[in-house]
Amino acid sequence: MALPIPFGAARGRRRKGPRAGEGWWALLFLAPTLVGLALLSAGPILASFGISLTSWDLLRPPQFVGIDNFVNLANDPRFLVSLRNTAIYTLLSAPIGLVLALALALALNQPLRGIALIRTAYFLPVVTSATAVGLVWAWIYSPASGLLNQAIGVVGLPPQKWITDPFWAMPSIVAMSVWQGLGINVIVFLAGLQAIPQEYYDAASVDGAGRWPKLRNVTLPLLTPSIFFTGILSLIGSFQVFDQVYILARPGKPTEATITLVYFIYESGFKFFRMGEAAAASWILFLIVAVLTVVYFRSQNRWVHYQ
Amino acid sequence: MTAGPVTSTPAARSAAVALAERRSGRMPARRTVMRRSRRLVLYGVLIAGGLVMMIPFFWMVITSLKTRAEVFGAPPLSLPSGAHWENYATMWNALPGVTFGDFFLNSLKLALLNTGGQLVTCSMAAYAFAAISFRFKGPIFGLLLATLIIPFQVVLVPNFILWKSLPWPPSPTGSFYGTQEPLWVGAWLGGAFGTFLLRQSFLGIPAELADAARVDGANPWQIFRRIYLPLARPALATLAIFTFMWTWNDLLNPLIYLQHLDQYTTTVGLAFFQGQYVGKWPEMMAGALVSLAPMIILFVLAQQYFVRGIALSGLKG
Repeated sequence: MALPIPFGAARGRRRKGPRAGEGWWALLFLAPTLVGLALLSAGPILASFGISLTSWDLLRPPQFVGIDNFVNLANDPRFLVSLRNTAIYTLLSAPIGLVLALALALALNQPLRGIALIRTAYFLPVVTSATAVGLVWAWIYSPASGLLNQAIGVVGLPPQKWITDPFWAMPSIVAMSVWQGLGINVIVFLAGLQAIPQEYYDAASVDGAGRWPKLRNVTLPLLTPSIFFTGILSLIGSFQVFDQVYILARPGKPTEATITLVYFIYESGFKFFRMGEAAAASWILFLIVAVLTVVYFRSQNRWVHYQ
Repeated sequence: MTAGPVTSTPAARSAAVALAERRSGRMPARRTVMRRSRRLVLYGVLIAGGLVMMIPFFWMVITSLKTRAEVFGAPPLSLPSGAHWENYATMWNALPGVTFGDFFLNSLKLALLNTGGQLVTCSMAAYAFAAISFRFKGPIFGLLLATLIIPFQVVLVPNFILWKSLPWPPSPTGSFYGTQEPLWVGAWLGGAFGTFLLRQSFLGIPAELADAARVDGANPWQIFRRIYLPLARPALATLAIFTFMWTWNDLLNPLIYLQHLDQYTTTVGLAFFQGQYVGKWPEMMAGALVSLAPMIILFVLAQQYFVRGIALSGLKG
């Protein structure tokens, strides 16, 4: 991004003093970032839209096809199924993750001895790679001798195929994701809980409020900004699910039951080299996330209380 | 929100609380018993939950030490008949021409290159946004923030095409496709998350410090190096740890760019291994554990920075 005039040069000339000419310094400090913006982030976002209007296999030059890719995707059963699965994944994982984390954060926010060690157990999965822990979850779900089938066998339930079972496939992936992501929400909620001033609880005590009224009328309303924040992150994050699907769904490669939107993008772009189709699918992902984010932000006036 | 009267001084507050407790009419002795039993139940639930959270890790360790016969024959919760460390050796040398150690070194190299690049270039950009006034500052910062909101999958295709079309004679493909460069060069070209994080930290540094140094003849680079960077150490540590974690755990990008076994990172290596050795659970668990070890050690050593970073951004990867 070569700009004809260094920023601040004009202003710097007018404003005499020790800070004159700092525009050149700004250019120096920002040079890597500006190159990155032009070549690897802002530039490519625009390029991606252009590519989505072409048919391009990287062997022959791209051909302009207008909105054909979008039309074809709208009629592609595998793409539609990937959309459906991503929606199911989001609708299951986001609320379950939020509610579990909220309950946990309330319990972990106590001055108990050894609480730091207990918290570590809940946080640890967050830093692990979905690939490595995905392998152990694949083993837990294994129809042959897997831990889960053995465990439900103890209480007399019949073994299931889990990942390769059309009904259980998505819930199985969701369970692993909730397990892994729980710590993130708990940490955000704990930070939110610790920011609530003690005065509010004291005031509630003076009014004779017990545990439940305090939770309902003090803690939860004051925690809504944290709930809002984790909600948006869960929403955006779950639309981008890939690693878990790639590892867990490998026994039979992602089937109708497990393929997600980002897996579809990966498959179409980097296995079949349909660049136009992959770019179009990624723009659909972007638009869905953008619309949901706007709707979600609009809703905050109704339920989020800022202090 | 109505929270009732807010009592201000601590003394008045505790007096009011005591009064309220007396008004509620419960005996102090009964209260203590109730509190104690409630605390015990809470402990029990939290510890049980924590153990459930750790089950996958326990099972990984136990399986990695079992023989394959034990894995499929013996009841799952039985302990291994002995520590079968040979699973680790088998896993280490399972693939032709490379060892798991190569994957490990590739991951380490990429994680360190990414961490270094982000620390250098994000801190520079953050300094410009926090401490220098220049034209187009607002729009450029806005553009950078906008890239944080857009899902990164949108740039996968154009970035892939860019790297594939840049000529690079040393590579067998003639381009950067099939090399490790696309997995780290970008980290030396700034980043929205790191710049934003460090800018926040820099904004908390009093301008008087920089002004004093300027009077003494320091130029912006010296002010940045000698004043801003040392004072932002916690934020730099947070960025370093997060970048390391993201690179170490990344699967999608290495999957797209790497073509040869000897370039693989631990994540792609494990995924490849899984495809080749279906059902060899002890060896796979050994590999997974080895690849997890650095992150677990880093987490235990630097938990406060992880927690700080997540509480601040909620971002994991």
